[in-house]
Amino acid sequence: MTQKNEYVLVDPTTQAIVAPFNGAPRLPTLAGARIGIIDDSKRNADVLLQELAEVLRNRYEIADVQWHRKPSASRAADPAAIKELAASCDAVVIAIGD
Amino acid sequence: MQDLGDTTTVVWNDALEAIERCYELGWGDGLPLVPPTAGRVAQFLEASGKSSGEVIGEIPERRREITAGKVAANAVMAGCLPEYMPVVLAATEAMLAPPFNLVGPSSSMGGSAVLVIVNGPIAEKIGVNSRNNLFGPGNRANATIGRAVRLILMNACAAIPGLFDRSVIGHPGKYTYCIAEAETETHWNPLHVERGFKPEQSAVTVFASESPRQVRSVGRPEAILHSVADAASSLGTNMSTSGSVGNPEAGVRQGEIVVTVAGNSALWKDWTKKQVRDFLHERIRRSVADLKRAQVFPGEIESGDEESYVSLIPEPEDILLVFAGGEESNMSSVIPSWGPKVGSMAVTKEVK
Repeated sequence: MTQKNEYVLVDPTTQAIVAPFNGAPRLPTLAGARIGIIDDSKRNADVLLQELAEVLRNRYEIADVQWHRKPSASRAADPAAIKELAASCDAVVIAIGD
Repeated sequence: MQDLGDTTTVVWNDALEAIERCYELGWGDGLPLVPPTAGRVAQFLEASGKSSGEVIGEIPERRREITAGKVAANAVMAGCLPEYMPVVLAATEAMLAPPFNLVGPSSSMGGSAVLVIVNGPIAEKIGVNSRNNLFGPGNRANATIGRAVRLILMNACAAIPGLFDRSVIGHPGKYTYCIAEAETETHWNPLHVERGFKPEQSAVTVFASESPRQVRSVGRPEAILHSVADAASSLGTNMSTSGSVGNPEAGVRQGEIVVTVAGNSALWKDWTKKQVRDFLHERIRRSVADLKRAQVFPGEIESGDEESYVSLIPEPEDILLVFAGGEESNMSSVIPSWGPKVGSMAVTKEVK
Protein backbone atom coordinates (compact mmCIF):
# COMPACT_ATOMS: atom_id res chain seq x y z
CA MET A 1 0.00 0.00 0.00
CA THR A 2 1.62 3.22 -1.05
CA GLN A 3 1.23 6.58 0.64
CA LYS A 4 -0.79 8.07 -2.22
CA ASN A 5 -3.64 5.58 -1.69
CA GLU A 6 -4.29 6.76 1.86
CA TYR A 7 -7.02 9.33 2.19
CA VAL A 8 -8.17 11.45 5.11
CA LEU A 9 -11.96 11.69 5.25
CA VAL A 10 -13.87 14.26 7.27
CA ASP A 11 -16.39 12.62 9.59
CA PRO A 12 -19.85 13.93 8.55
CA THR A 13 -21.56 12.72 11.74
CA THR A 14 -22.04 14.48 15.08
CA GLN A 15 -22.03 13.27 18.66
CA ALA A 16 -24.53 14.26 21.32
CA ILE A 17 -23.15 16.85 23.73
CA VAL A 18 -24.63 15.87 27.07
CA ALA A 19 -23.79 17.89 30.17
CA PRO A 20 -23.23 15.71 33.25
CA PHE A 21 -26.16 15.68 35.65
CA ASN A 22 -27.32 13.85 38.74
CA GLY A 23 -30.76 12.29 38.55
CA ALA A 24 -33.18 13.01 41.40
CA PRO A 25 -33.27 10.32 44.10
CA ARG A 26 -36.15 7.86 44.02
CA LEU A 27 -39.11 8.89 46.18
CA PRO A 28 -39.22 6.80 49.38
CA THR A 29 -43.03 6.65 49.13
CA LEU A 30 -45.79 7.94 46.88
CA ALA A 31 -48.10 8.58 49.85
CA GLY A 32 -48.69 12.30 50.13
CA ALA A 33 -46.59 13.03 47.04
CA ARG A 34 -47.47 15.82 44.62
CA ILE A 35 -47.44 14.30 41.13
CA GLY A 36 -47.16 16.20 37.87
CA ILE A 37 -48.41 14.78 34.59
CA ILE A 38 -47.37 15.90 31.13
CA ASP A 39 -49.98 15.00 28.52
CA ASP A 40 -48.32 14.98 25.09
CA SER A 41 -51.71 15.76 23.43
CA LYS A 42 -51.77 12.61 21.32
CA ARG A 43 -55.17 11.01 20.95
CA ASN A 44 -56.28 9.19 24.15
CA ALA A 45 -53.20 10.29 26.10
CA ASP A 46 -55.56 12.19 28.43
CA VAL A 47 -57.77 9.11 28.91
CA LEU A 48 -54.81 6.91 29.82
CA LEU A 49 -53.20 9.49 32.09
CA GLN A 50 -56.45 10.30 33.91
CA GLU A 51 -56.82 6.62 34.67
CA LEU A 52 -53.23 6.53 35.88
CA ALA A 53 -53.91 9.51 38.15
CA GLU A 54 -56.91 7.67 39.61
CA VAL A 55 -54.79 4.60 40.33
CA LEU A 56 -52.13 6.75 41.97
CA ARG A 57 -54.77 8.48 44.10
CA ASN A 58 -56.65 5.37 45.15
CA ARG A 59 -53.87 2.85 45.49
CA TYR A 60 -50.93 5.00 46.56
CA GLU A 61 -52.68 7.96 48.19
CA ILE A 62 -50.85 10.68 46.39
CA ALA A 63 -51.76 14.16 47.57
CA ASP A 64 -52.25 16.08 44.41
CA VAL A 65 -52.03 15.98 40.59
CA GLN A 66 -50.84 18.87 38.49
CA TRP A 67 -51.64 18.58 34.78
CA HIS A 68 -49.74 20.06 31.83
CA ARG A 69 -50.90 19.48 28.27
CA LYS A 70 -48.42 20.19 25.47
CA PRO A 71 -49.85 22.02 22.42
CA SER A 72 -48.10 19.56 20.13
CA ALA A 73 -46.77 16.08 20.75
CA SER A 74 -43.88 16.91 18.46
CA ARG A 75 -42.63 19.84 20.47
CA ALA A 76 -40.53 19.66 23.60
CA ALA A 77 -42.42 20.79 26.70
CA ASP A 78 -42.29 24.51 27.37
CA PRO A 79 -39.26 25.18 29.64
CA ALA A 80 -41.40 27.48 31.83
CA ALA A 81 -43.91 24.65 32.39
CA ILE A 82 -41.09 22.23 33.24
CA LYS A 83 -39.70 24.73 35.74
CA GLU A 84 -43.11 25.18 37.34
CA LEU A 85 -43.68 21.43 37.59
CA ALA A 86 -40.20 20.91 39.03
CA ALA A 87 -40.90 23.52 41.70
CA SER A 88 -44.34 22.30 42.72
CA CYS A 89 -44.16 18.50 42.31
CA ASP A 90 -42.25 15.68 43.93
CA ALA A 91 -42.32 13.61 40.74
CA VAL A 92 -43.58 14.02 37.18
CA VAL A 93 -44.93 11.35 34.84
CA ILE A 94 -44.23 11.86 31.17
CA ALA A 95 -45.23 9.49 28.42
CA ILE A 96 -45.66 9.33 24.68
CA GLY A 97 -49.10 8.10 23.80
CA ASP A 98 -50.61 7.31 20.41
CA MET B 1 -5.44 23.70 6.11
CA GLN B 2 -7.94 24.59 8.84
CA ASP B 3 -8.99 22.08 11.48
CA LEU B 4 -11.79 20.03 9.93
CA GLY B 5 -12.88 18.23 13.09
CA ASP B 6 -12.89 14.46 13.42
CA THR B 7 -11.32 12.57 10.54
CA THR B 8 -10.68 9.00 9.63
CA THR B 9 -7.98 7.62 7.35
CA VAL B 10 -8.96 5.08 4.74
CA VAL B 11 -7.15 3.31 1.95
CA TRP B 12 -8.37 2.56 -1.53
CA ASN B 13 -6.76 1.74 -4.83
CA ASP B 14 -9.47 2.57 -7.32
CA ALA B 15 -12.82 4.30 -7.60
CA LEU B 16 -14.88 1.20 -6.85
CA GLU B 17 -12.92 0.54 -3.67
CA ALA B 18 -13.44 4.16 -2.63
CA ILE B 19 -17.20 3.73 -3.01
CA GLU B 20 -17.14 0.51 -1.01
CA ARG B 21 -15.08 2.11 1.81
CA CYS B 22 -17.75 4.80 2.08
CA TYR B 23 -20.51 2.18 2.30
CA GLU B 24 -18.55 0.48 5.10
CA LEU B 25 -18.39 3.73 7.06
CA GLY B 26 -22.20 3.81 7.18
CA TRP B 27 -22.57 7.44 6.23
CA GLY B 28 -24.93 6.97 3.34
CA ASP B 29 -28.48 6.94 2.06
CA GLY B 30 -27.95 3.69 0.16
CA LEU B 31 -26.57 5.26 -3.01
CA PRO B 32 -22.86 5.63 -3.76
CA LEU B 33 -21.17 8.58 -2.06
CA VAL B 34 -18.42 10.95 -3.09
CA PRO B 35 -15.69 10.44 -0.44
CA PRO B 36 -15.51 13.53 1.81
CA THR B 37 -11.76 13.94 1.53
CA ALA B 38 -10.18 16.69 3.62
CA GLY B 39 -9.11 18.56 0.50
CA ARG B 40 -12.57 18.57 -1.04
CA VAL B 41 -14.28 19.57 2.23
CA ALA B 42 -11.79 22.44 2.66
CA GLN B 43 -12.58 23.58 -0.88
CA PHE B 44 -16.32 23.65 -0.04
CA LEU B 45 -15.70 25.63 3.14
CA GLU B 46 -13.58 28.11 1.23
CA ALA B 47 -16.38 28.59 -1.29
CA SER B 48 -18.79 29.31 1.55
CA GLY B 49 -16.46 31.67 3.41
CA LYS B 50 -17.10 29.80 6.65
CA SER B 51 -14.77 28.14 9.11
CA SER B 52 -15.31 24.47 9.87
CA GLY B 53 -16.34 25.07 13.46
CA GLU B 54 -18.92 27.77 12.81
CA VAL B 55 -22.24 26.62 14.26
CA ILE B 56 -25.08 26.85 11.71
CA GLY B 57 -27.76 25.65 14.12
CA GLU B 58 -28.60 23.02 16.67
CA ILE B 59 -31.11 20.31 17.34
CA PRO B 60 -31.40 20.69 21.11
CA GLU B 61 -33.58 17.62 21.70
CA ARG B 62 -30.76 15.46 20.33
CA ARG B 63 -28.06 17.59 21.98
CA ARG B 64 -26.28 18.23 18.71
CA GLU B 65 -24.69 21.25 17.08
CA ILE B 66 -24.39 21.36 13.31
CA THR B 67 -21.29 23.14 12.09
CA ALA B 68 -20.30 24.40 8.63
CA GLY B 69 -17.70 21.62 8.49
CA LYS B 70 -20.39 18.94 8.88
CA VAL B 71 -22.56 20.65 6.26
CA ALA B 72 -19.60 20.73 3.86
CA ALA B 73 -18.69 17.06 4.41
CA ASN B 74 -22.26 15.97 3.69
CA ALA B 75 -22.55 18.28 0.67
CA VAL B 76 -19.37 16.74 -0.75
CA MET B 77 -20.74 13.24 -0.21
CA ALA B 78 -24.01 14.17 -1.94
CA GLY B 79 -22.12 15.15 -5.09
CA CYS B 80 -22.62 18.92 -4.78
CA LEU B 81 -20.35 21.48 -6.39
CA PRO B 82 -18.64 24.04 -4.12
CA GLU B 83 -20.87 26.82 -5.45
CA TYR B 84 -23.96 25.03 -4.10
CA MET B 85 -22.73 25.51 -0.53
CA PRO B 86 -24.56 28.80 0.18
CA VAL B 87 -27.86 27.10 -0.72
CA VAL B 88 -27.14 24.01 1.38
CA LEU B 89 -26.11 26.23 4.30
CA ALA B 90 -29.27 28.34 4.05
CA ALA B 91 -31.42 25.19 3.90
CA THR B 92 -29.64 23.83 6.98
CA GLU B 93 -30.07 27.10 8.87
CA ALA B 94 -33.75 27.15 7.91
CA MET B 95 -34.53 23.60 9.01
CA LEU B 96 -32.74 24.17 12.32
CA ALA B 97 -34.78 27.33 13.05
CA PRO B 98 -37.16 26.82 16.02
CA PRO B 99 -40.47 27.21 14.03
CA PHE B 100 -39.44 24.27 11.84
CA ASN B 101 -39.08 22.08 14.95
CA LEU B 102 -36.87 19.58 13.13
CA VAL B 103 -37.14 16.98 15.89
CA GLY B 104 -40.81 16.47 14.95
CA PRO B 105 -40.77 15.93 11.19
CA SER B 106 -37.43 14.10 11.28
CA SER B 107 -38.63 11.48 13.75
CA SER B 108 -42.37 11.13 13.13
CA MET B 109 -44.19 8.08 11.81
CA GLY B 110 -45.74 10.60 9.38
CA GLY B 111 -42.71 10.18 7.17
CA SER B 112 -42.10 13.63 5.79
CA ALA B 113 -39.20 14.83 3.70
CA VAL B 114 -37.76 18.32 3.73
CA LEU B 115 -38.76 20.06 0.51
CA VAL B 116 -36.24 22.75 -0.47
CA ILE B 117 -37.51 25.61 -2.66
CA VAL B 118 -34.85 27.92 -4.10
CA ASN B 119 -35.73 31.48 -5.11
CA GLY B 120 -33.79 34.48 -6.41
CA PRO B 121 -30.79 34.91 -8.70
CA ILE B 122 -28.82 32.01 -7.19
CA ALA B 123 -31.23 29.50 -8.74
CA GLU B 124 -30.26 30.48 -12.27
CA LYS B 125 -26.62 31.03 -11.36
CA ILE B 126 -26.07 27.48 -10.13
CA GLY B 127 -28.70 25.92 -12.40
CA VAL B 128 -31.50 24.74 -10.09
CA ASN B 129 -34.23 23.38 -12.35
CA SER B 130 -37.69 24.93 -12.13
CA ARG B 131 -39.21 23.53 -15.31
CA ASN B 132 -39.63 20.16 -17.07
CA ASN B 133 -39.30 17.20 -14.69
CA LEU B 134 -39.53 19.54 -11.72
CA PHE B 135 -39.37 16.76 -9.14
CA GLY B 136 -37.71 14.32 -11.50
CA PRO B 137 -34.14 13.32 -12.25
CA GLY B 138 -31.51 14.76 -14.53
CA ASN B 139 -30.28 17.94 -12.92
CA ARG B 140 -27.21 18.01 -10.70
CA ALA B 141 -28.10 21.00 -8.52
CA ASN B 142 -31.58 19.73 -7.64
CA ALA B 143 -30.42 16.16 -7.15
CA THR B 144 -27.40 16.89 -4.99
CA ILE B 145 -28.68 19.84 -2.92
CA GLY B 146 -31.73 17.81 -1.92
CA ARG B 147 -29.55 14.80 -1.22
CA ALA B 148 -27.14 16.92 0.86
CA VAL B 149 -30.07 18.00 3.04
CA ARG B 150 -31.02 14.35 3.61
CA LEU B 151 -27.42 13.35 4.44
CA ILE B 152 -27.18 16.27 6.88
CA LEU B 153 -30.39 15.04 8.49
CA MET B 154 -29.09 11.49 8.78
CA ASN B 155 -25.45 12.10 9.68
CA ALA B 156 -25.42 15.43 11.51
CA CYS B 157 -28.97 15.49 12.95
CA ALA B 158 -29.10 11.76 13.77
CA ALA B 159 -32.34 11.22 11.81
CA ILE B 160 -31.29 7.64 11.11
CA PRO B 161 -33.98 5.34 9.71
CA GLY B 162 -35.06 2.86 12.36
CA LEU B 163 -33.39 4.85 15.15
CA PHE B 164 -34.67 8.43 15.48
CA ASP B 165 -36.44 8.41 12.11
CA ARG B 166 -39.57 6.30 12.72
CA SER B 167 -41.31 6.87 9.34
CA VAL B 168 -43.80 4.11 8.62
CA ILE B 169 -43.47 4.29 4.84
CA GLY B 170 -41.27 7.36 4.14
CA HIS B 171 -41.32 8.65 0.56
CA PRO B 172 -39.01 9.06 -2.44
CA GLY B 173 -38.47 12.74 -1.62
CA LYS B 174 -36.40 11.56 1.32
CA TYR B 175 -33.59 10.80 -1.13
CA THR B 176 -33.71 14.27 -2.63
CA TYR B 177 -36.39 16.99 -2.78
CA CYS B 178 -35.25 20.32 -4.20
CA ILE B 179 -36.87 22.64 -6.73
CA ALA B 180 -36.71 26.25 -7.86
CA GLU B 181 -39.51 28.61 -8.82
CA ALA B 182 -39.63 29.68 -12.49
CA GLU B 183 -39.91 33.23 -11.26
CA THR B 184 -38.61 34.95 -14.39
CA GLU B 185 -41.38 33.31 -16.39
CA THR B 186 -44.37 34.52 -14.40
CA HIS B 187 -45.92 37.84 -13.45
CA TRP B 188 -46.53 36.44 -9.96
CA ASN B 189 -44.40 37.55 -7.06
CA PRO B 190 -41.91 34.82 -6.22
CA LEU B 191 -42.37 32.88 -3.01
CA HIS B 192 -39.46 34.56 -1.21
CA VAL B 193 -40.81 38.03 -2.03
CA GLU B 194 -44.18 37.05 -0.59
CA ARG B 195 -42.30 35.94 2.49
CA GLY B 196 -40.56 39.27 3.01
CA PHE B 197 -37.41 39.19 0.89
CA LYS B 198 -36.43 41.42 -2.02
CA PRO B 199 -36.54 40.06 -5.58
CA GLU B 200 -32.77 40.53 -5.93
CA GLN B 201 -32.11 38.51 -2.78
CA SER B 202 -31.79 34.75 -2.97
CA ALA B 203 -33.57 32.61 -0.42
CA VAL B 204 -34.33 29.03 0.45
CA THR B 205 -37.65 27.83 1.87
CA VAL B 206 -37.82 24.48 3.64
CA PHE B 207 -41.08 22.64 4.18
CA ALA B 208 -41.64 19.35 6.03
CA SER B 209 -44.03 17.60 3.74
CA GLU B 210 -45.55 14.61 2.08
CA SER B 211 -44.66 13.60 -1.47
CA PRO B 212 -46.06 15.68 -4.35
CA ARG B 213 -49.43 14.53 -5.63
CA GLN B 214 -49.69 15.27 -9.35
CA VAL B 215 -52.91 16.99 -10.33
CA ARG B 216 -53.83 16.49 -13.97
CA SER B 217 -56.19 19.16 -15.17
CA VAL B 218 -56.23 21.47 -18.14
CA GLY B 219 -58.47 24.31 -19.13
CA ARG B 220 -59.41 27.57 -17.52
CA PRO B 221 -57.65 28.52 -14.29
CA GLU B 222 -60.84 27.80 -12.33
CA ALA B 223 -60.92 24.26 -13.71
CA ILE B 224 -57.32 23.63 -12.72
CA LEU B 225 -57.89 25.09 -9.26
CA HIS B 226 -61.01 22.95 -8.70
CA SER B 227 -58.92 19.84 -9.33
CA VAL B 228 -56.08 21.11 -7.13
CA ALA B 229 -58.56 21.80 -4.31
CA ASP B 230 -60.12 18.37 -4.72
CA ALA B 231 -56.76 16.59 -4.53
CA ALA B 232 -55.76 18.70 -1.51
CA SER B 233 -59.02 17.80 0.24
CA SER B 234 -58.31 14.05 0.28
CA LEU B 235 -58.99 11.92 3.26
CA GLY B 236 -55.79 10.28 4.43
CA THR B 237 -53.44 13.23 4.28
CA ASN B 238 -51.70 14.52 7.36
CA MET B 239 -53.96 17.57 7.17
CA SER B 240 -57.22 15.61 7.30
CA THR B 241 -56.26 13.38 10.23
CA SER B 242 -57.41 13.92 13.80
CA GLY B 243 -54.09 12.74 15.26
CA SER B 244 -51.89 15.43 16.83
CA VAL B 245 -54.29 18.23 16.05
CA GLY B 246 -52.75 21.69 16.32
CA ASN B 247 -55.90 23.67 16.98
CA PRO B 248 -58.45 21.61 18.97
CA GLU B 249 -61.32 23.75 17.66
CA ALA B 250 -60.51 22.72 14.08
CA GLY B 251 -60.93 19.04 14.89
CA VAL B 252 -58.51 18.00 12.15
CA ARG B 253 -54.78 18.56 12.12
CA GLN B 254 -54.72 21.17 9.31
CA GLY B 255 -51.42 22.64 8.11
CA GLU B 256 -49.66 24.52 5.39
CA ILE B 257 -49.58 23.26 1.81
CA VAL B 258 -47.37 23.85 -1.21
CA VAL B 259 -49.11 24.07 -4.58
CA THR B 260 -47.08 24.12 -7.78
CA VAL B 261 -48.63 25.46 -10.96
CA ALA B 262 -46.87 24.77 -14.27
CA GLY B 263 -47.23 26.01 -17.79
CA ASN B 264 -47.51 29.37 -19.43
CA SER B 265 -47.98 32.40 -17.22
CA ALA B 266 -50.35 33.96 -19.78
CA LEU B 267 -53.07 31.53 -18.70
CA TRP B 268 -52.98 33.17 -15.26
CA LYS B 269 -52.82 36.79 -16.44
CA ASP B 270 -56.05 37.71 -14.68
CA TRP B 271 -55.08 36.04 -11.41
CA THR B 272 -52.78 37.11 -8.59
CA LYS B 273 -51.28 34.63 -6.18
CA LYS B 274 -53.59 36.01 -3.51
CA GLN B 275 -56.65 35.32 -5.63
CA VAL B 276 -55.48 31.77 -6.24
CA ARG B 277 -54.93 31.24 -2.51
CA ASP B 278 -58.35 32.63 -1.60
CA PHE B 279 -60.04 30.46 -4.23
CA LEU B 280 -58.25 27.33 -2.98
CA HIS B 281 -58.62 28.02 0.73
CA GLU B 282 -62.39 28.17 0.43
CA ARG B 283 -62.44 24.79 -1.30
CA ILE B 284 -59.79 22.73 0.51
CA ARG B 285 -62.17 21.19 3.01
CA ARG B 286 -64.02 18.00 3.83
CA SER B 287 -67.54 17.31 4.99
CA VAL B 288 -68.20 16.23 8.56
CA ALA B 289 -69.98 13.19 7.10
CA ASP B 290 -66.87 12.09 5.18
CA LEU B 291 -64.69 12.69 8.22
CA LYS B 292 -67.05 10.50 10.26
CA ARG B 293 -67.02 7.74 7.62
CA ALA B 294 -63.25 7.69 7.86
CA GLN B 295 -63.46 7.77 11.69
CA VAL B 296 -61.49 11.00 11.75
CA PHE B 297 -64.43 12.30 13.76
CA PRO B 298 -66.28 10.00 16.17
CA GLY B 299 -69.97 9.27 16.06
CA GLU B 300 -72.74 8.40 13.62
CA ILE B 301 -73.58 10.61 10.68
CA GLU B 302 -76.36 13.02 11.53
CA SER B 303 -78.54 15.27 9.45
CA GLY B 304 -76.57 18.27 8.29
CA ASP B 305 -73.20 16.45 8.36
CA GLU B 306 -73.14 16.10 4.55
CA GLU B 307 -73.45 19.89 4.18
CA SER B 308 -71.19 20.86 7.08
CA TYR B 309 -67.53 21.35 6.11
CA VAL B 310 -64.20 21.51 7.93
CA SER B 311 -61.34 23.53 6.46
CA LEU B 312 -58.06 21.62 6.11
CA ILE B 313 -55.89 24.75 5.95
CA PRO B 314 -55.97 27.43 8.68
CA GLU B 315 -55.62 30.57 6.52
CA PRO B 316 -55.21 31.41 2.80
CA GLU B 317 -51.65 32.56 3.62
CA ASP B 318 -50.83 28.98 4.58
CA ILE B 319 -50.95 28.02 0.90
CA LEU B 320 -47.44 28.40 -0.53
CA LEU B 321 -47.96 28.90 -4.24
CA VAL B 322 -45.03 28.22 -6.56
CA PHE B 323 -44.95 28.69 -10.33
CA ALA B 324 -42.90 25.72 -11.49
CA GLY B 325 -42.99 22.67 -13.75
CA GLY B 326 -42.92 22.13 -17.51
CA GLU B 327 -44.24 24.54 -20.07
CA GLU B 328 -47.53 22.70 -20.34
CA SER B 329 -50.19 23.82 -17.89
CA ASN B 330 -51.87 20.44 -17.46
CA MET B 331 -49.89 19.22 -14.44
CA SER B 332 -50.00 20.92 -11.08
CA SER B 333 -49.12 19.41 -7.73
CA VAL B 334 -50.23 19.54 -4.15
CA ILE B 335 -47.82 18.88 -1.30
CA PRO B 336 -49.46 18.61 2.12
CA SER B 337 -47.63 19.54 5.25
CA TRP B 338 -46.31 16.88 7.61
CA GLY B 339 -47.88 18.48 10.64
CA PRO B 340 -49.99 21.25 12.11
CA LYS B 341 -48.34 24.64 12.17
CA VAL B 342 -47.58 24.32 15.87
CA GLY B 343 -45.62 21.16 14.99
CA SER B 344 -43.69 22.56 12.02
CA MET B 345 -43.88 25.60 9.78
CA ALA B 346 -42.16 26.42 6.50
CA VAL B 347 -39.10 28.59 7.10
CA THR B 348 -37.33 30.87 4.61
CA LYS B 349 -33.71 32.01 5.01
CA GLU B 350 -31.58 34.24 2.85
CA VAL B 351 -28.79 32.67 0.81
CA LYS B 352 -25.67 34.63 1.74
